[in-house]
Amino acid sequence: MNLGQTQQRIRWITLAILVGSAILLTVLDSTGALSGVMGFVRDPLTYISSWTSARTDSVADIVAGPRNLETALQEIDRLRTENDTLRKENEQLLEDAGEAQILRQMFDRAAETPEYRRITADVIGQDTNPAIQSILINKGYDDGVRVGMPIEAARGLVGQVYRVTNNAAQVALLTETASAIPVRLGSTRATGMLRGAGRGALPTIDWIDLQYDVQVGELVTTSGLGGKFPENLVIGRVVNVERNEAELFQQATVQPAVDFNAIEIVFVVTEFNTDNTEIFSEGP
Amino acid sequence: MGNHVYVALPVMAMLAILQSSVLSRFPVLGVVPQLLFLVALVWGIARGIEEGLIWAFIAGLFADLFSIAPLGVSSLAFMAGVGGPLLLQRALPPRRLPVAMFMAMLGTLVYLAVYAVALRLFGFGASLSGLTELLPLLAVHAVLILPIYLLMDSMLRALRPRRVEF
Repeated sequence: MNLGQTQQRIRWITLAILVGSAILLTVLDSTGALSGVMGFVRDPLTYISSWTSARTDSVADIVAGPRNLETALQEIDRLRTENDTLRKENEQLLEDAGEAQILRQMFDRAAETPEYRRITADVIGQDTNPAIQSILINKGYDDGVRVGMPIEAARGLVGQVYRVTNNAAQVALLTETASAIPVRLGSTRATGMLRGAGRGALPTIDWIDLQYDVQVGELVTTSGLGGKFPENLVIGRVVNVERNEAELFQQATVQPAVDFNAIEIVFVVTEFNTDNTEIFSEGP
Repeated sequence: MGNHVYVALPVMAMLAILQSSVLSRFPVLGVVPQLLFLVALVWGIARGIEEGLIWAFIAGLFADLFSIAPLGVSSLAFMAGVGGPLLLQRALPPRRLPVAMFMAMLGTLVYLAVYAVALRLFGFGASLSGLTELLPLLAVHAVLILPIYLLMDSMLRALRPRRVEF
């Protein structure tokens, strides 16, 4: 046998062993027979692999970083703009919802007493003097507003027109000392005169007859007596009663139903039903 | 009356609108600062008692236009509140800002006292508790006068530079 044929044979045997070993390993590994051995080999390899991979990721991040940062900054700008737009929309929606609620309450109030004639007016200012409580509305003489007309909000009586110009009116709040309103108490039906006590004090009802047992929490409404205010306009609730048996009359303090600091829209009651008292002033 | 009156009229008109429609919506410590009064007081500090009183008068008129108080009541109160402290100005040390703060507090106190009495006379009497509620106005005015003073002082200096003689 020459040298060339011997070398050729060795090559074929090596190849067969390699192929056989490969097939054997494949079979053994597929049956799980090599798991212990393979774990022993793989563990250090995977450790090295993970370390290398981490370094590679860092390098890749450094290389790819600027591009991603730019994208992220653009995204932040876009989201900021979107956020601003959505905030504005949200504020507008909240404003609209608040206004819609006020208008709904006003509508409900107007529906309760359809026989009254009303003008809606916006509150455009408050009294410039700190000790006085009045508001300025944007309807005046040209709109049919006259001195003395009652002003109401959705929750109840606000006050009375005190001064009128052509296109605006000054309204004295019912808490103001210049204000005097004939009222009736809800359950006892007692009548009295509600007087404002000025800034920092709640209005009080004077001249309530002692025969009535006035309770805290009683509803206070206008009595309609005198003809300057319509009947049954809500004013507030009794929060305190001062009763002294030695006196002829008792007094009650009232918490107004209207939050005067938060009024935005009011009704000017321009016409309402009153009892005709002119017959009493006619001569015989 | 000098030319300053022609300045006072539009300034006070504008401030009265601002006072009624804007400032009243933003109370500080439960009170609304009286911008018209403060501007009149600052003008008085800067330009003397005479002009200060005229400005206080005009300020009061415009304030009453947006109030149910009788016209002129605020003028009285403002003039007392501006004139009183300005009379003491010469007796006070020449430290501009602390003096302005002191004058704002004193002036506000005088203004409120005169105002309460005047309102009583016209049937608008404020209760004692109501007036007590207004006392934070002293502190608010003492602070607020500083930016107004600095602003008006710089404006006046810019409009009328001081004459320098060599």
